[in-house]
Amino acid sequence: MPHEVIMPALGMAQDAGRLVAWLKKPGDPIAEGDALFEVETDKATMEVEAQAPGFLTDVRAAEGDDVPVGRVIARISETAETAETAGAALPEPSAPSETAKKPPASAPPDDLPEGRSVILPALGMAQDTGLLVAWHVSPGEEVAEGDVLFEVETDKTTMEVSAEAAGFVAAILAEDGEEVPVGERVAILTAEKPTAPVRQKRSAAGVEAPQSHEAPAAPKETPATERAATPPVATGGRILASPKARRLALEEGLDLARLVEAGHPQPFHVRDLEAFKTLQDARPATAAAAAQATRRITADIHREGFSEFLAWAAESEGHADAPALLAAFAAASFRSGREHAAICVIVERFGEESRHLDPDRAATGRSAVPDEDAPAPDLILRDLRHVSISSVELGAEDAPVLTIMKRGEGLAVTLECGAGHLSAAAALELVSGFTGRLEEPLRHLL
Amino acid sequence: MREITLSQAVNEAIAEEMRRDPTVFLMGEDVAEAGTPFKVLSGLVEEFGTERVIDTPISEPGFVGLAVGAAMTGARPVVDLMFGDFIYLVMDQLCNQAAKQHYMSGGKLQVPMVLRTNLGATRRSAAQHSQSLQAIVAHIPGLKVALPSSAYEAKGLMKTAIRDNNPVVIFEDKLMYQDKAPVPEDEYLIPFGEAAVLREGRDITLIGTSSMVQVAGKAADILANEGISAEVIDPRTIVPLDEATLLGSVKKTSRAIVIDEGHQSYGVTAEIASRLNEKAFYHLDAPVLRMGAMDVPVPFSPALEDLTVPTPEKVADAARRLCAGEMIHAA
Repeated sequence: MPHEVIMPALGMAQDAGRLVAWLKKPGDPIAEGDALFEVETDKATMEVEAQAPGFLTDVRAAEGDDVPVGRVIARISETAETAETAGAALPEPSAPSETAKKPPASAPPDDLPEGRSVILPALGMAQDTGLLVAWHVSPGEEVAEGDVLFEVETDKTTMEVSAEAAGFVAAILAEDGEEVPVGERVAILTAEKPTAPVRQKRSAAGVEAPQSHEAPAAPKETPATERAATPPVATGGRILASPKARRLALEEGLDLARLVEAGHPQPFHVRDLEAFKTLQDARPATAAAAAQATRRITADIHREGFSEFLAWAAESEGHADAPALLAAFAAASFRSGREHAAICVIVERFGEESRHLDPDRAATGRSAVPDEDAPAPDLILRDLRHVSISSVELGAEDAPVLTIMKRGEGLAVTLECGAGHLSAAAALELVSGFTGRLEEPLRHLL
Repeated sequence: MREITLSQAVNEAIAEEMRRDPTVFLMGEDVAEAGTPFKVLSGLVEEFGTERVIDTPISEPGFVGLAVGAAMTGARPVVDLMFGDFIYLVMDQLCNQAAKQHYMSGGKLQVPMVLRTNLGATRRSAAQHSQSLQAIVAHIPGLKVALPSSAYEAKGLMKTAIRDNNPVVIFEDKLMYQDKAPVPEDEYLIPFGEAAVLREGRDITLIGTSSMVQVAGKAADILANEGISAEVIDPRTIVPLDEATLLGSVKKTSRAIVIDEGHQSYGVTAEIASRLNEKAFYHLDAPVLRMGAMDVPVPFSPALEDLTVPTPEKVADAARRLCAGEMIHAA
């Protein structure tokens, strides 16, 4: 039994090898293990050894040829006589796969011509299908051995597939652009000129489309539905938001807690901040109402002692610093519960503003500090005694606001503050303490 | 512009530099007369002779050590390490000697050496010939690391590497040697530390290295069909790293996926993702994702091997989830 010499696969990703040189001549006696020829692949040049003893015959590849892996390039026969001259044709390498790959059962009972099948070759180890890029022949055409039949594209490369024998193209069974499973018949070659050459699409042949390329379409939908069904994330009190969403919310003064209240699913991303626009309408009814809730307390003093006290102080001490005194009265009334804290009071009169740090503890007239040194105010005092405003409702500021106005012979005091600034009790205590001191300034000194 | 393969581009770069500078020489296993690894260096021995194109024995520690010495004494060796996996054999020569000579000699010694090697799986070469070990080298101060993503980058980066006075390791992707790209006939160099923005986008930044740049590009194609605009960036060198370009892009898109074919854990992707987290945190609208090779020895089985590497589909799916604001849990 003669031994076939094939182009070996020297690398797993190798499609073809270049026959660099024959090391034996046709007819040479061969011992097993003798170097037969040299082959060059993308990686290296190697010598290929004989797998069996005999004589080298039927050499079918010349030096310099690029030969596809697996192709028979010679034989090792029992005699030096060539088999071809002896009349036995060299079997084609595709023959085994041809018998293994029968046309699919679903194909219609062929009115296809009888002949040599041309299959889609495997060009790589990981390949299931190939894209038939283009036919280079048409039905009925005569081809010689080695003529390019078609081009096929895999994930790695585009290659030309050549006829392995001369003949006529009797049938083309897949069209340009079709994805064809490896091993499937794409053409039939006949020895005789065909009377009725066939050309059809794979789809026309009733062959199912290759699974590997259709499958992704269905699972693609599942993640979307899973996403929609994902329950809101349990946050345990902390709001889950992306760093960028958190930063933008901070910059724009948006409270992410409102999105939580509105039932907006977390985590929040930048796009979720858009949802604040739709929340604007709902604002007065919910959180906004709470934010706007202010405390406003008004007290009237029918007979104030402050002006008199001021005049007395001016006479006895040589000066009378009304803002500092007012600040001291206010701070003293505000001190309860803040024994160890510094209290900063801003006194606003029309066109003037002064800041006082712990005025109730400083020596008279020594509490004023420059603006840049003052901390954020704890209390704002508006002295409107010398203008004709009789009532204010200006809303809360950043700190509680005490406004003093003239009311007949006496004074009116209004406190406005946010609910978060002072409790109701503290607000009442502040107003009553402050009005008490304005009524009887001497109480302050005691 | 003419198109040439990555192999030809590397060959041209080395040949041009050898013509320009007589101190440049080439050394490694089979580089001269055995057909040359992956046929990249074919023709060089004919032009430059066996004095400058030197076949070595199979002894990586020996010839890389020799190259370090040659570089210290005035030559510019380009050393061919047939597989990136063999880096393990030359760790002392590379990391203890080449990387540290300049520092330890107080700047008196230089090691202008290029170690040319490769990375990349899916060539069916099994676990010991398929690794992508750039992270191991990038970890060592004193070594520069270039990862060309096409023939154009391969040529420009190789020429810059040969002219650099420091040891440079260049990893080429084994599967890209036959890939063609437009490469100018005129001489050009690609500076180190300069990323290439290959595609501008609005919604997400895909940062890929080596062949993962192609993966990122294909993912961007898929995403474009769905209305997601992805920016694709190739850092080209991971040491030095062009942080400014990466940060600028992420600040614009507020999302990022970093893709590299090394194992995902403790890798190049982790380093880049970490820098983005540190320096662009308040601009991020989603966690920065890493996509690397699975943390397993690369399987020989083709079906399994293909599952271990990032693919355009996997990248597109992750990008889609990030852009949808989906909660991403740790991998």
